[in-house]
Order: sequence, then C-alpha cells, then structure tokens
Amino acid sequence: MPLFVKARSFLRNLFLSRRAEVDLDQEVHAHLEMLTEENIRAGMRPQQARRAARIELGGIEQVKEQVRQTRTGNWLPSVISDCRYGLRQLRRNPGFTAVAVLTLALGIGANTAIFSVVDAVLLRPLPFEAPSRLIAIHEGIPKMGYPKMGFSPPDLAIFAREQKSFSAIGAFRNKPVNISGRDEPERVMAARVSSSLFPMLGVEPMLGRTFASDEDTPGHNVVLLSYGLWQRRYGGVSSILGETIDIDRQPYTVVGVMRQNFDFPLPGPDDNGSPADLWVPMAFLPAELQGWGGSYLTSVVGRLRPGITLEQMRGSTEPLVREVLASYPAALTKTFRAAELNISAFPFQEDVVGSVRTLLLVLMAAVSFVLLIACANIATLLVSRAATRQREIAVRTALGATRLRLVRQMLTESLLLALGGGTLGFLLAFLARNFILALVPSSIPLPRHVSLHAGVFAFAVGTSILTAVLFGLAPAFRLSLTATEVHLQESGRSATLSRSHHRLQGVFVTVEFALAFVLLIGAGLLIRSFGKLLETKPGFRPDSVLTLNIPLPHEAYPQEAQIRSFYRQLLDRVSTSPGVQSVGLSNDLPLNAREMVSMAIEGRGDAESETPQAICQSWVMGNYFQTMGIPLLQGRWFAPQDRVESQPVTIVSLAAARKFWPRENAIGKHIRWGVKAPWQTIVGIVGDVSQGPLNTPVAPHVYRPYSQLPGPFLEVDPFGDWHAMNLAVRAQANPAKLTSAVVADVHSLDPNLAVASIRTMTEVISSSFAGPEFNMVMLGALAGLALFLSAVGVYGVLAYVVTQQTHEIGVRMALGARRHDVLRLILGRGARLAGIGAGCGLAAALALTHLMKGLLYGVSAIDPPTFATVIALLTFIALLASYIPARRATRVDPTVALRCE
Amino acid sequence: MNTEPTTLLQGTLDLLILKSLIAGQMHGLGISRRIQQITGGTFVVKPGSLFPALHRMEEEGWISSFWGESENNRRAKYYRLTKAGQKQLEVETKRWGRISWAIGQALEAS
Repeated sequence: MPLFVKARSFLRNLFLSRRAEVDLDQEVHAHLEMLTEENIRAGMRPQQARRAARIELGGIEQVKEQVRQTRTGNWLPSVISDCRYGLRQLRRNPGFTAVAVLTLALGIGANTAIFSVVDAVLLRPLPFEAPSRLIAIHEGIPKMGYPKMGFSPPDLAIFAREQKSFSAIGAFRNKPVNISGRDEPERVMAARVSSSLFPMLGVEPMLGRTFASDEDTPGHNVVLLSYGLWQRRYGGVSSILGETIDIDRQPYTVVGVMRQNFDFPLPGPDDNGSPADLWVPMAFLPAELQGWGGSYLTSVVGRLRPGITLEQMRGSTEPLVREVLASYPAALTKTFRAAELNISAFPFQEDVVGSVRTLLLVLMAAVSFVLLIACANIATLLVSRAATRQREIAVRTALGATRLRLVRQMLTESLLLALGGGTLGFLLAFLARNFILALVPSSIPLPRHVSLHAGVFAFAVGTSILTAVLFGLAPAFRLSLTATEVHLQESGRSATLSRSHHRLQGVFVTVEFALAFVLLIGAGLLIRSFGKLLETKPGFRPDSVLTLNIPLPHEAYPQEAQIRSFYRQLLDRVSTSPGVQSVGLSNDLPLNAREMVSMAIEGRGDAESETPQAICQSWVMGNYFQTMGIPLLQGRWFAPQDRVESQPVTIVSLAAARKFWPRENAIGKHIRWGVKAPWQTIVGIVGDVSQGPLNTPVAPHVYRPYSQLPGPFLEVDPFGDWHAMNLAVRAQANPAKLTSAVVADVHSLDPNLAVASIRTMTEVISSSFAGPEFNMVMLGALAGLALFLSAVGVYGVLAYVVTQQTHEIGVRMALGARRHDVLRLILGRGARLAGIGAGCGLAAALALTHLMKGLLYGVSAIDPPTFATVIALLTFIALLASYIPARRATRVDPTVALRCE
Repeated sequence: MNTEPTTLLQGTLDLLILKSLIAGQMHGLGISRRIQQITGGTFVVKPGSLFPALHRMEEEGWISSFWGESENNRRAKYYRLTKAGQKQLEVETKRWGRISWAIGQALEAS
C-alpha cells in the first residue's frame, strides 16, 4: 500500500508537475490571504496586516521551494534542471568549456590508455587455471654473480623427484628451430616443454591432444602447433593432425593445435620469454642429464599443493639443495657449495611481469599527476569564474536555494564537464590504444593488443567522477560560502572575498608546480640516463657490419668434419663476394652474448676449493675481430696454426685481464675450464665489448678459436649453440645491400638452410637503445605537458589577480610606486607560488625517485645536476608565465584605475 | 506567546499535525493555530515547516487534501486524516510515549 502511494506520488510529481505547481501556488497564496485577514480581524490596518502576514509566511518562493524538496522523486526533476542549467552555463562560456573538456579528455584518455595496459599486464591474473597457486622456481649461484637462473637438467630431475611442496612441476625452454618441407625453409621459435606443463597450467589444445608422459623421453618426435603457425603455414586444416612436418630436418608428427591467442612462454622474462610457434616434448638427452654445473637455462613452474604456502615452500628448499649438490661429481660439489647454490621461488605472475612493472607504475603515476594538474587548473578557472557568479548565487539564495543545493548545482556542472571530458578521453584511448602500443619497442615485453573491456570503462567513468569532485568541490564550497556573505546590494567586489579566492588558487598552483616538479625530475633522470647510454662505447665499430645467423640442423650435419667444412667454405665464399671487406664467424654476437663458462686460473691455489670464475666465452672463426672492429691491445690474433691438436690458445678481454691479472701481464698465462680440461695459453688481449644490454657493466670475456672446439662437443652439442654460428660481414659500403648476395652464398652450399636474424649491427645498437628511449620520450612528453599546464595555471591566476586588483595597483602607482615595483610585486607572487610548489615537489621527488631506480643507468636517483636543472627550468617557466600579466599590471593607468571603481 | 524557535523532531511535527486533524478536516492555517492551541502556545509552526510536512504526509498517504470553502468563503485547501493516517497516529503516539518516558527517565537520572 505505501509503495503504491509512493509510486503514485512519484508519477504525479513527474508528469503532473505543472498542475501540482499551480495547486501549491494557490495554496500558499490562500494561506497568505487568510493570515492577512486574521491580522485585520486582530485590529491591524490592511497594509500593516499584509506586511505582518508576509513576515510570518517567510517568503512565498522559499516556502514553495521547501515543499518541492520534500516531494517524492524530487531529485529527478531537480537533477534534470541542474543539468539543464549547468549545460546552459557551460554553453555561455564556450571558451572555458572547450579548454576544460579538452584538458580533461587528454588527461582521462591518457589515464585510461595506460590503465588498460596496467590492467592487462599487472592486474589481470595469468590466463591459466588457479594462477595464484603457480610458482616460478629458480636456481641461483650468487657467489658467481648469478642469483637467479633457470634449472640445469640434472638438478631439475632431482628437484622434481624429491620435492614435496608442489602437486605438479612443469619445465620449458625456448629453442629456435628450422622447419622445412612444403614451403621455403623457415626459422621459427619453438619451446621444449615437459609433458606435465600444459595439464598443470590447465591448458587444453583446440585440436588433438597435448603430450603424453611417455613422450617426454628422446625419440618421440611429436609436435604441437600454435594457431598462428597452423593458419599461416599449414592452411588451418584439421587434417594436419597425424601428418609429419620436418623440424631441423627430422620428421615430427603433429598431435595437436593450440587455441588462438595462446602465448607460451609468456613474454617478459629475459630467458625463455619468447612465445613459441610450436612446442615439442622436453625429452632431456642423456648428455643433458649429465651436464652438472652448467646450462642453468630451463624455466620451471610448479603448482603448490593445497594447504602449502609459498613461505612454507621456501623454507623447505635447504635439504633439496643439499640433495642436488650431493648428486654433482665430487669436484663440483665443493665449488658449487662454496658458490652458495640455492633454490628460490616467486609467484609466477610476479616473475613474468617483473621487468615491466616499474615502467608501468612510473607511467601510471605520471599520467595521474598530469590529470591532477589538469584538475587543479580547471579548479583555478572555476574559482575565477565563481567570482563573476557571486550575484547569480546571491539571487538563487534569496529565492530559497539551500547551500547544499548550490553545492550540488556546482558539482553537477563539474560532473558535466568531467563526463564530457571522460567520454572524449575514452574515445581517444579507444582509437589510439593500438597505435600507442605499436610504438612500444619490441625489447619491452608489453602486449601489442589490449581490449578495452568493462573494467577499463568503469575506470574511465570512475576517474571522470573523481576528477569532477577533485576540481569541483573546493570551488563549489567556496562559492556556496560566499552566498551567505554576499548581499544583493553589494557592487560585487569584495576585497576579503577575492583574497580568499586568491589563497585557494594559490594552493592549486602550488600543488601543480609540486607535481610538475616530480615529473620533471623523473623525466630528467631518464634523459640523463639515456645520455649516459649514448656515451657508452659498445667496444666495436657497428657501421657497415651485417650479421646473419646460420644454424646447421644437427641431424643433417652430425659429424664434426661436415660442420667445420661448411663454415670454412662459407667464409671463403663470402669473403670473395664483391663489396665485402672482411668476414668472420662467432657463436655469440656483441650485445647478445650468452655462453658462460667457469674458469680456473693456473697458479691460483687449489682450483677445486676455489670459487670458479664465471666468464663469458665466444668461439670465433675467420677475421671476426677485424670485421667487428674490436681492437687488439696486446699479443696476437688467432692464426691458422691454432688447430685442434696444437696448444689451446685464448684471447681475453681487457676487463678479464685487469680483473684476474691486475698487476701482471696476462699474455702467456694459463687458464682452463673446470678441473680436467687442458690449460689454454693467453695469446692476446682485445678491447672490451658490451655483452648487452648496454646499460649493464661489461663482463670479462674470453675468446677461443672455433678450430679448437673439441670435436665431441661439436657433435653432441645438445644446445645447438655451436651449430648456429653468426656470420659477420664488413661491407665496403651499405651492409644491408649485401644481404641477398650472402644469403645466395649460403644457399649455394645448402639450399635447405634457413638464415635467421639478418640485421646490421647499427640496427642491433639502435634496438638496444629503443627501450630506454621509449621510457625517456614517454615520461618526457608527460613532464612537458605537466610543465605547460602548470605554466598556464600560474598565468591564469596572476592574470586574474591583476584584473581583480587593478584598483589597488592604481592606488599604489598614484602613491608613487614605480613600474618595476609593480612588476616585482606580481612576479614575486608568481615566483613565491612556484617556489613553494618546487619545495614541496623537491621533498616528494627525493622520496619517490628511488622507486624508478630500475629504469636509470649511470645516474643516481637524486642526481644533483638533474635537480638543479629542473629547479632552474621551473623557476624560469614560472617567471615567464608571470611576466605577461605582470607587464599588463605595469600598464595600469592610475587615473583610469581609480575612476573605474 | 513563545516566539523562541523551538526545534521540532520531525516525528513530533507529524504527530502534532495528525493529532490536530483528529477533530476533523482543516486547512493549513487552521492546523497551525490548532497546534498552537493544543500545545499551550509552545509550538508555533511556521508555513515553511508546515507545508513541506503536509505535502510529505499526503505523499505518505496519511492525509488527503481537497479544495473547499473557508469560514470567510475563501477557496482554501483542506486536509483530513485517512485510515492509514489514523493508524500512523496510533503508532506515533506509542512511539512518542516511549520516547518521552525515556527522556523523562534520563532527565531524572542526571
């Protein structure tokens, strides 16, 4: 019943509001008449009676407004009228409205765009079953400088057998392979995965099946295709199941196809972070399972048993480490115990996104700072506008508007602005998102496509409402406050009121400068880092060098002699090609060196008890050093007489020579791998070459002649590292132009070979700059925007101050103030605002910048030159922005100013 | 006449209006004067409070209104109690009884 009555009242108020209004009007007027008559009967004269009645009634419009407010559903028409009124107000000031909406659109759009990436990368759980229970597990040998690595095959076997914390353990490892047959041979990214991996992740294939556990042993050639490869190369037909395809020239049976958009390994980690085109069983070879103390390259993920926490799991690793060490050959047990071999574990998601988390959080912080600055700007504009609206407010108050109602009206206007900006911003983010993501260099593991789903939309709406409250609330309260102070009769200019307006605006401008300061520091630090990065000498001459990766499939080249003769012939053939200056081969290239060995030094105590020295090692052939432009500092190059059967020789880098023989000459000294290999004589010292990335320190490096790589290694080579040599060609002119000739040389030796990673060294260098450059440009652009908005803010406030105080300035000038006094007065105010802002920003920056340490190179987070430059820049911009209104103030004509009152 | 603005609890004003309408239909001014009379001049209900309350109570369905003739042959809006209003009066009376008893207790205790 009451519900029915309410609904009826609601509908009546909504649809018959005009009749209700007339009714109300008549009722109140009748009441007034009756009051008057009552007073006349009490003996008053008619005029007096009417007056008394009006006083008792307290204002017809006020009474009516109070009744309206009690009506059921009164909010709806009043909200509509608020909106209509607000829109009218905004339309009356098209300039202000356009500026505000556009500023907000940029701010909210940028926030939405960055948030959609943050959401996709950091917030959304990994696309697996119960992802929070998935743990990434690492081995580490901190004393050798490797605190966090993958597992070596024998260690993984022991760990998987002995551990009790996980209900399942999966392992995977990236491996580039050649696929041939049908079409052109092609180099694609594969991943070896343990048969347990996909079931553990809860991943089902779209067609066929995943691997059975008995297929996880050598000799079972089965393969799972990615959706993309299946579509692209195999026409997307389901009859592919059961067919064989050639991988590294071995036939593999296709057992399944994974669904679309299934990316695994997940992009992000440095090792095993490339989504694969096809998957084959891990099937460790016996040689791999006996590779103790090396090849810590297999990524391992486990699913925690129910009831076990990550902490409990971490606490249980010690006996497992002991077990692993006990399995090593006795000599290695000692050295790896001394190197403090350990096992660590992290949530899988943290492990995957770790490298981009800092960047994303810094960008998110930066865009929200820009939005806050935009809010502060709009708030100052609103306060300025509020001053011109005091009369309007006074009228509305007189007509019975309550203070709450006025605040609501102001907030409605702010909300309209924010929603307008938000809608436009969301559209911007929607249109620009894939364009912006396409700018992200490939070295930064971010998704290339993100979807703008309901969550992102909710974020945009929420941000809009929040910004409306942020920039609308203070001016609204300020304005409603004036309503109680201002009288209609007043001319509209009140010194005390504009003072408090100025104070409020001053606060906004201060906040803007503080935020801009922090952003500028962040951008400045990245610019300085980038500068340092550009100054970094890579240690080789990248110009005119072309590199190609030429992997020889193990199955087609099983014998040492075949491999050596292929590369020998390739060198001969390419070096005689026209336009080629010199040519060499290496298994690793600068900025991308991966092979590490542990090395013992002759005469340095008992090698068994010493911690082995981890060092980078490359196998080179032909004129590799000359081609790369790596200088020989001392000794000699490798020569044709350095053969398998002759004395092993090595060339060390300057960093290695300085580190291991700081006060001696390294030439003639002897080193060896581990404990049993023959001693190698150092015959030369070459310049340091960055192993990459450029922002990491150069590690000691040893080079060995490929001709001395022992035959058995070459033939077993389970990792394929020594079969996949990189050809480096120094061209007489443009290196890219040699590409087709060099590829033709390769195919003249073996038409079925795939040539991969064809790049000039200049490209390699610039791609290694791409990540830091992207960071710098993004943050720099945001900081520039922040500075611009802050400058507009201080300009706006001072311009307003000058117009408001024309009178005061006129008086000052009439009393003898000179132009530069006035100039100093206004400039001083701008400088003070900027100064306080910069002070707050300085404190904030000192507290915050260390969070972005991960993005810096060669500068500290509190780099004094950066801070000094930013302070100077901010002061300069603040003074520049203040100068224009200040100059206008000096032009005030005292006589005009005094008369205008 | 007490001119001090006495703040009324919302329920109290409702109760007083319902109570005054027990005697029969009445227009706004009549209700106002009746309240003044039955409270011995303690409460003066100003139109700014009275009319919103009347309209709210009408929307609640406790009272209904119609246009009629006043004592001086003037068109005036009259209010009368509905069935729901009579029930509400009982509820409010009981509630008020409890409140005034509780306030009395509290005042004596201190």
